[in-house]
Amino acid sequence: MSIMSYNGSAIIAMVGKDCVAICSDLRFGVQHQTLATDFKKIFKINDECYVGLSGLGSDMQTLRQRFVFRHNLYKLREDRNMKPSTFANMVSAVLYEKRFGPYFCEPVIAGLEPDGTPYITGMDLLGAMAPASDFVVAGDNTESLFGACESFWRPDMNPEELFETISQCLLSGVNRDCLAGWGGVVTVITKDGQFTRSLKGRMD
Amino acid sequence: MDFIRNNQSQSPDTGTTIIGVAYEGGIVIGCDTRVSIGNYINNRTSDKITPLAENVFLARSGSAPDTQLVADYVRHLVHQHVMEIGRDPDVKTVANLAMQIVYNNKGVNHGQGLCAAMVCAGWDKHNGGQVFAMPIGGTLLPVPWAIDGSGSTFIWGFMDAEYREGMTRAETEVFCIKAISLAMARDASSGGMVRLVTVDKDGATRRLVTHEEMEPFYEELDLRKVRDGSGGVALGI
Amino acid sequence: MVIPTEDGGFNFDLCKRNAFLGQQGVKGPSVLKTGTTIAGVIYKDGIVLGADTRSTNGDTVADKNCEKIHYIAPNIWCCGAGTAADTEAVTGMVSSAMELHRLATNRSSRVITAMTMLKQHLFKYQGHVSAALVLGGYDHSGPHLHSVYPHGSTDTLPFVTMGSGSLAAMAVFESGYKENMELEDAKILVARAIEAGIFNDLGSGSNVDLCIINKDGKDYLRNWKCPNERTYRHAGFTFPPGTTPLIKKNMNTAYCTSLPGLSALVEVSDGPEPESMELA
Repeated sequence: MSIMSYNGSAIIAMVGKDCVAICSDLRFGVQHQTLATDFKKIFKINDECYVGLSGLGSDMQTLRQRFVFRHNLYKLREDRNMKPSTFANMVSAVLYEKRFGPYFCEPVIAGLEPDGTPYITGMDLLGAMAPASDFVVAGDNTESLFGACESFWRPDMNPEELFETISQCLLSGVNRDCLAGWGGVVTVITKDGQFTRSLKGRMD
Repeated sequence: MDFIRNNQSQSPDTGTTIIGVAYEGGIVIGCDTRVSIGNYINNRTSDKITPLAENVFLARSGSAPDTQLVADYVRHLVHQHVMEIGRDPDVKTVANLAMQIVYNNKGVNHGQGLCAAMVCAGWDKHNGGQVFAMPIGGTLLPVPWAIDGSGSTFIWGFMDAEYREGMTRAETEVFCIKAISLAMARDASSGGMVRLVTVDKDGATRRLVTHEEMEPFYEELDLRKVRDGSGGVALGI
Repeated sequence: MVIPTEDGGFNFDLCKRNAFLGQQGVKGPSVLKTGTTIAGVIYKDGIVLGADTRSTNGDTVADKNCEKIHYIAPNIWCCGAGTAADTEAVTGMVSSAMELHRLATNRSSRVITAMTMLKQHLFKYQGHVSAALVLGGYDHSGPHLHSVYPHGSTDTLPFVTMGSGSLAAMAVFESGYKENMELEDAKILVARAIEAGIFNDLGSGSNVDLCIINKDGKDYLRNWKCPNERTYRHAGFTFPPGTTPLIKKNMNTAYCTSLPGLSALVEVSDGPEPESMELA
């Protein structure tokens, strides 16, 4: 049992045309025992930037606090929001500081840059960024998520198409995962605003 | 697969043969050119003789990162010292600096100390040519000749039998080449070519001896004869 | 509360907790590695660096087209192998230090400076910062090529390879390297060496990146060769709107605890014009 799959998680971020989407499952468990089915792993940083955290639940919550704290300090000093690429570099620095005693958390960052271009990046628990132009996944069963995304994703999807695609990827990706599932939550970010929907998934 | 792991976790090792010999009026310092990680030779033309001053040289064996660090620090200190005194440093001063770095860092590497077995040699106007043996642990010994590294175990007998006082510069160079090539022939971690630095009152001279220039030992392939097509295995020196 | 510090450096707060978790029998996590083929040669007028573009996490390919040739200075670039976070961080730190050094001295950077900074950092961490690097650049004294090992030792050679595919790449260099090569020949040789890694080493894959550095500057050739284009095609699944069953259509967007902007909290008004100072 790896520490990264102690609580269970599945996260995907995906790029569409002038929009991005990020989603997570809703399960929180301790190994095979499910404790909660409304545990969101996607956190809003600002209107144009969201972060998804996979891995150990306690580290997820600690990191979310630290990221929001850093973002607040940035806003006080700069009087503006962090853009996603800046936020990603901050996350990377926070994680790499603990290179020799890491947080057990792999973040996924999704958002729109000020010029409207989509930005998504995955990261390992030491803060090595892996920016992508199509999709990134994280969680305890990335093989399934990768497989679904590799076949379902296509370029230049509009927000509604992107929503359906990422939802199908998440639901089929967690279909064979004992540790993740129990529905999901999807947020799509466009330059005109964001919408968040909760998905019906299998409850076993 | 193991290699891939080893490549990450092991550090380059100058599994080596190094030698320093003093003669009337100068010194010769020599080494092979092989650097390996496990079974892989990652540098076959390396230079293990690092200049510490215009007139002092250091032959390094042991861990590559550890000995490079020692050499870099000594060079830094010697540069400052030379600027203060305005002339070339004494060999014993430079050798002492190197020794002190090794001796004062015996806590590193989980208490094993720096893995640095070195030979420091040079010429100065006060004491002429001098050779210092600097085995692992931070000992410093003034000696007429010194050998170290994994290949040195194969040539102690040769050194004892063949070293003579009063050799000329040319004789000393041949002696060093023969000692190193004997070690290279038997030690898997030593090989490649022979590098020599000779230092006397007129300064330092570098020399690189390739296979073709070396006398083959019994049953070895004579590369000079292979090249002109006249033969093969040497039977006798 | 952990206050972010300005002085940098590593933080070991979680080491004890993680060691405890290890003792309880939970397995440690895996990290991104660039199981890599990287290489460099000196040619007639400068340096050609090359790298594959695969990054792996265990047996999974984490990134099919990552960048392994990192910026150090306008005239110095560095290929990285090993733990991705370490290669990224160590090259980032050195490039920042080099930029400050340039501004302080008003001189262009030297390759040996970068090499010394890298080796001193890596030596300090005794191989635990696992970055294996090929450092190449062109400075006032011409082209320079070095390899830097995770424990902090360095080699200076006319052709070098690093990473898990280094043996495959070195085989190509040993058979094909010549002194004073023309640029095109050098590019082809480096690409062949990287391809040897891509095809024969499981940790390396995807495309070939090249970076040429000479007295005229650098030429970063991203994806110079793509010998592994994807061969599978699908018509494209389209899921019409309404495919996915929903529980809620318009949720509150995931909760946010960040502050509003400063301008929403305070009012900034112009004061009177400051009076100019007069000297009696």
